Amino acid sequence: METIASVVLDSTGVNSINELAPQETAPVTFRSGAQALMESLVAEGVDTIFGYPGGAIMPVYDALYDFQDRLNHILVRHEQGAGHAAQGYARMQGRAGVCLVTSGPGATNLVTAIADALIDSTPLVCIVGQVGRKLLGTDAFQEADVMGVTMPITKWNYQITDADEVPGILSKAFYIAQSGRPGPVLIDMTKSAQLELMTKPFHYERCQSIISYRPRLVPKAEQVEAAARLINNARRPYILAGHGVQLAKAENELRQLAEKAGIPVATTLLGQSTIPVDHPLYVGWLGMHGNYGTNVLTDQADVVIAIGMRFDDRVTGDASKFIKQAKVIHIEIDPSEIDKIIKADAPVVGDAKETLKALLPLINPNDFTVWRNEFRKYDAIEHEQITVPELSSTEGKIRMAEVIDMLSTKTKGEAVLVTDVGQHQMMASRYYQFRRPNSLVTSGGMGTMGFALPAAFGAQVGAPDRQVVAIIGDGCFQMTLQELGTIVQNKQPVKAIILNNNFLGMVRQWQQLFHQRRYSFVELQNPDFITIARGFGMDGQTCDARENLSDALDTMLAHDGPYLLEVVVEKEENVFPMVPAGASVSQIRLS
Amino acid sequence: MTTYTICIFTENTIGLLNRITIIFTRRRVNIESLTVSETERKGVSRFTIVIKHEAREDVEKLVRQIRKIVEVMAVFGYLNDEIVYNEIALFKISTPLGGKSLDVETINKQYKAWVVYWGLDYVVIEKTGNNEEIFDFFGYLKQYEILEFVRSGRVAVGKTEKGLVEYLPEADWAYYL
Repeated sequence: METIASVVLDSTGVNSINELAPQETAPVTFRSGAQALMESLVAEGVDTIFGYPGGAIMPVYDALYDFQDRLNHILVRHEQGAGHAAQGYARMQGRAGVCLVTSGPGATNLVTAIADALIDSTPLVCIVGQVGRKLLGTDAFQEADVMGVTMPITKWNYQITDADEVPGILSKAFYIAQSGRPGPVLIDMTKSAQLELMTKPFHYERCQSIISYRPRLVPKAEQVEAAARLINNARRPYILAGHGVQLAKAENELRQLAEKAGIPVATTLLGQSTIPVDHPLYVGWLGMHGNYGTNVLTDQADVVIAIGMRFDDRVTGDASKFIKQAKVIHIEIDPSEIDKIIKADAPVVGDAKETLKALLPLINPNDFTVWRNEFRKYDAIEHEQITVPELSSTEGKIRMAEVIDMLSTKTKGEAVLVTDVGQHQMMASRYYQFRRPNSLVTSGGMGTMGFALPAAFGAQVGAPDRQVVAIIGDGCFQMTLQELGTIVQNKQPVKAIILNNNFLGMVRQWQQLFHQRRYSFVELQNPDFITIARGFGMDGQTCDARENLSDALDTMLAHDGPYLLEVVVEKEENVFPMVPAGASVSQIRLS
Repeated sequence: MTTYTICIFTENTIGLLNRITIIFTRRRVNIESLTVSETERKGVSRFTIVIKHEAREDVEKLVRQIRKIVEVMAVFGYLNDEIVYNEIALFKISTPLGGKSLDVETINKQYKAWVVYWGLDYVVIEKTGNNEEIFDFFGYLKQYEILEFVRSGRVAVGKTEKGLVEYLPEADWAYYL
């Protein structure tokens, strides 16, 4: 791409920029910063942007007007929605989601989503308008120190004050967001840099490396060998698979390793769906409300193989008592995670896929049937004491587990589940039988209420061929329900299920169990959700009787277009098993 | 409490100091002193940060988290015996007419300090050395009226044979020139 003639610029219709250019001469005009930004996005292969216009980003929106054939811009209803939608999109596509918002409040509204993306390693490129360079630091209209605000919650951020910087910085932004441990990147672009013309021809080159940033993909051979020795000498090895497996698209390698050595596999919350639940080596998921056996038996494994996970406190319970007896192999792309919470006996820094590939030939075939059967004993207890009662009640209101279980059957475990945060999130993870990889989108680390609806929308945009179902609590829904408008306007066939118990259920559960039922501000007076959906032009219905649930789910799944199903569920239901906060995982409670 | 000196090599970009100090703040580690300057390699800055901490393990975690910052090229954590280090202090001493006269010989020979500026009724004395040497000298100067006292952060070089910059990743440095 070389210089562009003024005639090309005219055809893009950016009048404000022509006014800036010398009127009398200029047979050859360079691109404006805003145009360069659009060109850069196209050159990077971006085709979808989630955004919301405003004062300080208007030159970019003006340039975008001419790129509508190449860039599908989706207008959300609130910038937080843009962020979460981009997250859902990124998780489905395995590449960065792009957000475009204005300065000040536009940017600060995006902050929650950025923090969420950082802790859950989701690649985002957030492009944010900023006041003109001369106004920086003067408390100008809609000026906020977005660089300062987002510094601790981005993988990298940068302020563009010069149009010439645009292509170079954009390519760097995408490279940083998508490589190594993925994460959010923010570009703060002054209005003057958007308007200004470049002083040289536009040239975009994809960033391949950065001198100071070199994530290690292929692990060191000696680290892999040390890990292999531990595995080959293990008697009760145990794989804990995290989100990193899915981010590295290492699902097959994980299965090969587990199958070759006969090692049981548990996943973290975000690691779910990396291995199908009906796989004989899958034993469940870990964590505060994970499975009984997976939690208890972490204390009996002699070698723990942690892959792409970071030992979150919701997984470890009391970390000082977690897997003390075991040798720990920690396979992780982010070196700062090694030894952060749990000391690793054999750290392996590298990409999960590359590492598992290197590890596989070094592992001796094995079969730990006796050890694996231990899990099944606990499964039987959990099944009898928790699952059966949850799924087979005949009186009272519908229970959350029944809804998820039935949904799982009807969708054959192949839908993309997008969940919010709280009891419904845990129930969705407990009862949905994931059979396809990359099928759970949830806010794990940040626990962001209001995540699901916009994220489900983004996931549907990112995976048009898949059935996307959002599972949302009544509290969560009211945090971002305005995005129903986005879903309807963009005709995305998102199915949303509100599990309505009229409570902020998880907080209520804690208040019941640990605060002597002192229910402090957890009961909600809810609106009529279906009327709200209809107001947005979305179909829906309420189901409050067990005998209607199956039909209601069928109607929802068969509906052409978006649909909201409200299921009125048991008000004071608790999620069990549960590892009380600060307890060790073996102190997991069944009631 | 053990004193650690953390040397950080970075690209010279705006806001990087902020990004680095955020990590100390998040982990509630107090910075005792901080010095930044460009290295012998153009475009590469060197931060020298001194902290006091009880657990070596926590310092190692801190070092790894700093390394994670995109613009950071390398981070080294040192104990005092692994480095040669110094600080510089300036003392502004009142020397009024008829007041106690300054014993420049003692200042020069015993304390290895130098008068670097003669004002009308004050002098400025410069002293380099480690923390103890500077405070020792401070004690000596107390007999005069100390109008101002200022001390810099620590600067340090490693005792390894090669320069630390040699450990930085190979690259086309022309890009930074």
